[in-house]
Amino acid sequence: MANEFITIRETLKRNRKDLMQRANVVATGIGYKFRAGQKTPNLAIICSVSRKLADSRLSSRDLVPATVDGTPTDVVQSGIIRALQAPTDRLRPAPGGASIGHRDITAGTLGCLVEKGGQKYILSNNHVLANSNQAQIGDPILQPGPYDGGKFPDDHIADLEDFVPINITGIPSECPVATTTVNFLNGVAKLLGSNVQLRAIDVQQLENLVDAAIARPLNPEDVTDQILQIGTIQGSISGELGMAVKKSGRTTQLTTGEIEQVDVSANVQYGEGQIAMFTDQLMAGAMSQGGDSGSAVLDEANRLVGLLFAGSDTTTVINRIENVFSELGVGL
Amino acid sequence: MPPSLTAAKKKHEARLLQLPGVVSVGIGSDERGREAIVIGIADSNPKIRARLPANLEGYPVILRIVGPIKVH
Repeated sequence: MANEFITIRETLKRNRKDLMQRANVVATGIGYKFRAGQKTPNLAIICSVSRKLADSRLSSRDLVPATVDGTPTDVVQSGIIRALQAPTDRLRPAPGGASIGHRDITAGTLGCLVEKGGQKYILSNNHVLANSNQAQIGDPILQPGPYDGGKFPDDHIADLEDFVPINITGIPSECPVATTTVNFLNGVAKLLGSNVQLRAIDVQQLENLVDAAIARPLNPEDVTDQILQIGTIQGSISGELGMAVKKSGRTTQLTTGEIEQVDVSANVQYGEGQIAMFTDQLMAGAMSQGGDSGSAVLDEANRLVGLLFAGSDTTTVINRIENVFSELGVGL
Repeated sequence: MPPSLTAAKKKHEARLLQLPGVVSVGIGSDERGREAIVIGIADSNPKIRARLPANLEGYPVILRIVGPIKVH
């Protein structure tokens, strides 16, 4: 067996160049021969082809011979072999999972394509496409995002179409001055025999459901409904406790997790001292890092579950896709 | 009739989220698979733990160290 392998390796080495020159052959190697879909115990020289054609459609010069120096061959269709696409590259068409961003941010992730009024839009977060409420409608969106080398106008892929404003407030009731003041006033109130007690409640915490925005591609050919390492979306589904989920993002690419909490209300930091309160969120374990914001979150059957936007060292926070759709007035 | 788990959580979450060190309140499950109210805290500071209840309206409360949640 070992000797046979060495012999075949020598045979392949002698004939590789000749085999690779034949039409459609993209790779050669050594493997077990398949016959009628079944693996046989016999080693063979495997020629991978971009397209398997009937012998009659190939010239004799391009036909892979049945044997090479006594070693059987096998032809398998592998398709064209490409280098794996890096999500931080400039990609056209740009798939879900690729780096994207408003020109004034670092970089986030292109989630997926959504539809509104017969037009396809790029879906991601407000803080990725609309610079956390700071952008103007029509601002240029770059792919890849600026941090990954995206420049205007060369990498201008879309224009900001719409975003759901986020209510961002200060840090709730952690202000020591406010707490001290309230304690002092309550002391005064007690001295005055008042029943009224003051509490350190800051400006009404406004609730947010989504961190979402859409951008209109300059050219529909520049985007694709494929998601890197995942494929195409097969509809949508409401996220539930215990559901297995996955995402493809600019930084950590394909990761998987499980929905560990639903109906989550959370305080999310938007920079130093900037907090936004979100309700009705899904929470999964750690499956994201900075730059993954905007990733589409799918279940095992590729059904769209949510839009990833935040996380900690141990958790990932996800907007429910039904809330994203209703807040933006979009669908698949 | 006692409030549902969701109602119990809703009743208390605004107050809980105002407490320093509390970052999230959600519905998850305990180690036995029972639904529970899960309070996410920024760190293991015992002062935070001491302020939080072991149960709400009769439903179990689980504390989970989540760390600060930031936009990604």
